[in-house]
Amino acid sequence: MTTIELVPKPATIKRMIDESRDVKSYVLEMNESLTMPALPGQFVEVSVQGYGEATFAVTRKSKGDREFTISVKRIGHLTKMLHRAATGDIVGVRGPYGNSFPVDDWKGKDILVIGGGIGLAPLRPVIDHILLNRKDYGSMEIIFGARTPDDILYKEDLKMWESDKSILLHKTIDVPFEGWNGRVGVVPAVIRDLGVKPDRRVSIVCGPPIMIKFTAAALRELRWPDDRIFTTLEMKMQCGIGQCGRCNIGEKFICKDGPVFSLDQIPEHAL
Amino acid sequence: MNKWHKIKKTDLQKYVSRLAEKWEVWIPRLVDGKWEFGIYDGARDLDLPESIIDVSLKNLFFPKRRAIATFDENSKWSLQPVSPERRPRIILGLHPCDAAGIEYMDKVFLQSEYKDVMYKNERERTILVGMLCNKMGDDCHCTDRGLTPDSTSSMDVAFVNEGEWYFFRSLTDKGKRIMESKYLKETDEGPTKNEWPAGKYSIASPEEFMEMYDDSIWHELSDICLTCGICTYACPTCVCFLVADEKFKGKGERVTVWDSCQLQSYSRMAGGQNTRKTPASRVRNRTLDKFAYSHLRYGRISCTGCGRCIMVCPLKRSFPQLGARLSERIREKEKERTKVPAESKEE
Ligand SMILES: Cc1cc2nc3c(=O)[nH]c(=O)nc-3n(C[C@H](O)[C@H](O)[C@H](O)COP(=O)(O)OP(=O)(O)OC[C@H]3O[C@@H](n4cnc5c(N)ncnc54)[C@H](O)[C@@H]3O)c2cc1C
Ligand code: SF4
Ligand code: FES
Repeated sequence: MTTIELVPKPATIKRMIDESRDVKSYVLEMNESLTMPALPGQFVEVSVQGYGEATFAVTRKSKGDREFTISVKRIGHLTKMLHRAATGDIVGVRGPYGNSFPVDDWKGKDILVIGGGIGLAPLRPVIDHILLNRKDYGSMEIIFGARTPDDILYKEDLKMWESDKSILLHKTIDVPFEGWNGRVGVVPAVIRDLGVKPDRRVSIVCGPPIMIKFTAAALRELRWPDDRIFTTLEMKMQCGIGQCGRCNIGEKFICKDGPVFSLDQIPEHAL
Repeated sequence: MNKWHKIKKTDLQKYVSRLAEKWEVWIPRLVDGKWEFGIYDGARDLDLPESIIDVSLKNLFFPKRRAIATFDENSKWSLQPVSPERRPRIILGLHPCDAAGIEYMDKVFLQSEYKDVMYKNERERTILVGMLCNKMGDDCHCTDRGLTPDSTSSMDVAFVNEGEWYFFRSLTDKGKRIMESKYLKETDEGPTKNEWPAGKYSIASPEEFMEMYDDSIWHELSDICLTCGICTYACPTCVCFLVADEKFKGKGERVTVWDSCQLQSYSRMAGGQNTRKTPASRVRNRTLDKFAYSHLRYGRISCTGCGRCIMVCPLKRSFPQLGARLSERIREKEKERTKVPAESKEE
């Protein structure tokens, strides 16, 4: 008998990165020559022994499939314990689960990435993938919003993307902040401001539920068709494999049929 | 089709005692006025209920608390999977709706890329010996849910209670293993066929239910439901669970525990956000899950018509009634839609 899928495998924390005041990233290496072949948009269940597990997007891969990164916002029981962990600690991991962004279908297209706060985490592998296969894709535009300058994640990446001539980057914060000279305004307002056209583009959106909802509305106003707006949905999860029942929207399980959906695949009330 | 074998009622206990020498045998027994399954020990006279057994079989395949791994609390990582129980067992005296419940659990746990191997092990070590019902209980409505009191689906052996005799027939290779007995005599006779009446809770189709998501009826329905969740524990096909770590005196276990979609905590996320905060949203989710989503996922609605949720409901009005009320509303709406307007009739 093979082991029940719900029992995680060990991985070691190789490196920790303080991203913002409440988000830390963890570079995890699978123990015992195990791998984590996650595709852009897929997620993992991470355990701290004695404290249960929680769901996190794989936000970067390194060393082939041996190493991967998750970014964790401190918000409850398990995320608090993860924030207390140290380099060298062992955590449990299982996955990768869920579907992924159909990046192969997007070849030759222009890509618009729209992230709000920690919502940038599941989108970063798409950006990584496009940069790695630059010739296969058209232009890339990134709109990233955070509540305050202190909530901006992935500062190194943002710097890199800013200096990359093939990327158009817009950073914005929700409300004015002392010392911030950049753009101010919530993401949907920025989208209207920029008047981003659908043209040959697909857009991928992730952020807090309210941000996704209003971003979708803004894009629709600009005549974006639903099948070209992709998002990753969030629902309370436990098993990640379509068995514990709770992450459903209608008959679909977000963990199994999602988390990636285009807007035409989900009912209006899912937004 | 395998042949019928008959056994004298007075011999059944001897036969079961024989089986118990080799197998762990589970039979229904009366505990504090309620029927539930327990291990046969020969201490009491065998007595098999002719209709619904109060407590479903769910717990025997997917226990309400199930350790999947153990760990030592003083280490950072020592999680070890729990090794499975291997002893072969027989469950004897279950009914068609019990077998249907297991059939549904099979879809959730086995018809998946990630088979639940602990559940699979419980299935594989078990021979299901089902007794067809002689009557329908007060809350039984399997005939409204595509079953009958004499359905044999998913059983390894089926038997029928008739007069002085029980008629046994094996339905699978697994079942054949218990047919070799001096008490069981092959016969050309067979039990008589019964006609079964419809139940009290017929329902609309899954597609029609799907149309009702935005209807205002959910407030009316949730007003008559306490959302206490007891129905979900009693239900043979409600298998929602949570995963948690439990620690006691240095020893730890990772467990799956039955959960209920009727409780607020079920969908509550970190930071307090909750997609199903209101009773109406939870009643809607369970009703549609039972009668529509399950069909879209697995090709069969998950209600077996066993009536246990009604039996345990403090108000005695549970999801079969809610489903029936909703179906009534669907028919009302349909009538309104197809009604010819008064003026056009005059023309
Ligand atoms: C597909 C998906 C991807 C996610 N990716 C990330 C990410 O990259 N970074 C990040 O910081 N957060 C992410 N989240 C949210 C993250 O899972 C929750 O913040 C986390 O579960 C909170 O756990 P907790 O124990 O600290 O909170 P508690 O409130 O103590 O929660 C207890 C348990 O409930 C479950 N739970 C609670 N909130 C959520 C939630 N929002 N989603 C799913 N399960 C929940 C978890 O099993 C959790 O352990 C993601 C959620 C989903 C569904
Ligand atoms: S919903 Fe009620 S009647 Fe239907 S299977 Fe569950 S407990 Fe039985
Ligand atoms: S998280 Fe368990 S079914 Fe989706």
